[in-house]
Amino acid sequence: MLQVENTLFTLVMLICFASMILYFAFIAARRDKLARAAVALQAAGLALHTAALVCRGIAAGRLPLTNQYEFATSFAWGVSLVSLIFVLKFKFPVLGAFSAPVTFLIIGYAAMQSREVRELMPSLRSNWLAFHVSTAIIAYGAFGVSCVLGGIFLLRERMKARGFLDQHIPDREKLDVIGYRSVSLGLLFLTFTIITGAIWAERAWGSYWSWDPKETWSLVTWIVYAAYLHLRIRRGWRGRAAAIFAVVGFICVMFTYIGVNTLLPGVHSYA
Amino acid sequence: MKKIWKFISSMRFAILLLIVLAAACSVGSLVTQGQTADWYARHYSQRAAAWIMALGLNDAFHSGWFIVITGFLCLNLTLCNLIRLPKLIRAAKADGRPENALRSEGDARAENVADPKAVFRALRMPAPVECRDAEGREALFSAKNGAGRWGAWVCHLGILMLILGFGLGQMTQRQYTVYGVPGQTRQIGDTPYCLTIDDFRVDTHEDGSAAQYTTDITVANTASAGPDGGSASVSVNHPAALAGMKFYQNSTGWAADIEILKDGALLQSDTLCAGEFLPVADRPQLVIMLDALYPDYAILPDVGPGTVSDRLNNPAYRYSIYYQREIVGQNVLTAGQTITVNEYEIRFVNPRPYTLIQIKVDHFTWLALLGGLVTLAGLALAFYVQPAKVWAVRSAEGGWTVFGQSRKGGALFRDRFTAAVEQNNRQSPGKE
Ligand code: HEM
Repeated sequence: MLQVENTLFTLVMLICFASMILYFAFIAARRDKLARAAVALQAAGLALHTAALVCRGIAAGRLPLTNQYEFATSFAWGVSLVSLIFVLKFKFPVLGAFSAPVTFLIIGYAAMQSREVRELMPSLRSNWLAFHVSTAIIAYGAFGVSCVLGGIFLLRERMKARGFLDQHIPDREKLDVIGYRSVSLGLLFLTFTIITGAIWAERAWGSYWSWDPKETWSLVTWIVYAAYLHLRIRRGWRGRAAAIFAVVGFICVMFTYIGVNTLLPGVHSYA
Repeated sequence: MKKIWKFISSMRFAILLLIVLAAACSVGSLVTQGQTADWYARHYSQRAAAWIMALGLNDAFHSGWFIVITGFLCLNLTLCNLIRLPKLIRAAKADGRPENALRSEGDARAENVADPKAVFRALRMPAPVECRDAEGREALFSAKNGAGRWGAWVCHLGILMLILGFGLGQMTQRQYTVYGVPGQTRQIGDTPYCLTIDDFRVDTHEDGSAAQYTTDITVANTASAGPDGGSASVSVNHPAALAGMKFYQNSTGWAADIEILKDGALLQSDTLCAGEFLPVADRPQLVIMLDALYPDYAILPDVGPGTVSDRLNNPAYRYSIYYQREIVGQNVLTAGQTITVNEYEIRFVNPRPYTLIQIKVDHFTWLALLGGLVTLAGLALAFYVQPAKVWAVRSAEGGWTVFGQSRKGGALFRDRFTAAVEQNNRQSPGKE
């Protein structure tokens, strides 16, 4: 099973790369056909990625969500899933082109982690943990997409020439609403993540909130996105300020995810 | 004064507070919490240590300024929700009345629509009611998802409950720990309850690492008042509730029995967990301490005495001996060895794991949890139940003008509206 997972993972990496190249070609060559091919390839990669995760889950006898490798590969899966949904729903392949490198980077990060399947320590054996991490993946995926959307928004503001990209990128108002959709998806799931995490912490450690750095940073992230929502309510700040907050929010997400483990001490040191 | 009040209840202040709170939390996470001034001086610098202690950054999340920020946030939220409640109720009442919509222009509009009901269907609106506008023209009206209006309000309420539940819990909670080996009974802090450890098991994975720790406990009430205790099994991720307290499997360690012989006869025996000590019965100035127990003893390079696994393959005991509070001896004993101090002979036997149970009383956890769930429900309402209204008015010539309004959909709603109208026109082109 793990052998299969290994092969599938390598395949997913290749497909992800190929789909990214196709997306870039679509923008460079300005051919809609290439966009359709890139989207199809992304969908195929996502299907294989799902299969790889299922294989690992079967091999480990649990949800594959408990160490750095498993979380990283699931994170990439989440970004790819949410971006694909947004690309299809809003007919917005340029979003795919900008999300593909993010997905690819995270897969690359996953590839660098140890793929050993290890037995779980007692505190990690919990259904709440499974909820906690699976909701985190959707939240992180959605925030990845909102960061990309924020970036596209800021880029679009700079763009003067009208032309191909102009036709393929929605106008500022629509970009802002799509960004809002992805942030709201992310925030809803982040709230889920924090609540299930608190329930798990209470059962595993006897305290539902102890201000350990990972907890604290998930709260910081949550607050940054709450600020984003309120900025959007004031007309003058809708758009630009909101886009900047979407980018800052994702920086917080990444810090919560990687920075806290490597730079700060805490209970979460294992994941 | 009025201006200050207005500012405190404003959303601008809310955004400011959120940003300040995020900054405060990140500072609190960057400075290692709960250390002494000396520790900070050693790890950062003398100067930084002085600042950290002066600003209370060593315990940022319980410091005065952190509580003040949170307090302002609560005040801001409460005022905001109180001020908005009557407005929301009015808006909710107005939502259901077609005449309000019929007077307005909407966000989107299309003229000369042949079959307005098809547009309602395409936009997934409920079947419209028939009515008349102020000028007596035929009209259709439909509204949905009015509840979504309450999303932010509910979310704010949830956050208030959450902060209140957490804060009250922090102020009133009580915590105790009890540890020991099976058979031991200990008092739970200052409560009238005592806890007996009936059994303690460590389940292992195939590779020998721990899979689960389980303690069977019995809690008994030694006073006449208060709820009775009972028995339960406690393991990691599966706490138990007894007598209004919650019991958590917190950790484990090693313990052994100590036996003190005098002139060859057993004078005294007891169980010591690693870190505990025992005064000799007939000479209490003499104290034996079990510093550590190595289940699989070895001299590790660069480390010294240590253990190579968690299995009881080769137990060894590191002990210290104190006389009148002065340390007089320290060494490691392996199985079968004894220490001789004057007329006393001391040995350790029967090594086994002990269990540490954490006991907690927090009467407000439910409020924090409820607050979290209410927040979640509010978010779901705000994001996924988006209020929309669609209405249509028949002109004198017979064609319909359809209007649409969405609270949050913006450009996306207008797109959907246009698409719905275009689809309708394609399907009934004759009447255009
Ligand atoms: C921790 C603090 C807060 C959080 C997490 C929070 C969360 C939210 C959320 C999720 C929404 C819905 C946004 C949307 O639908 O797009 C919202 C809306 C809103 N919030 Fe807050 N909020 C907070 C504090 C405040 C405070 C203190 C105020 C008061 C001044 C406030 C005023 C508003 C207003 C006026 C709205 C718009 C309501 C609407 O669209 O119906 N918020 N808030």
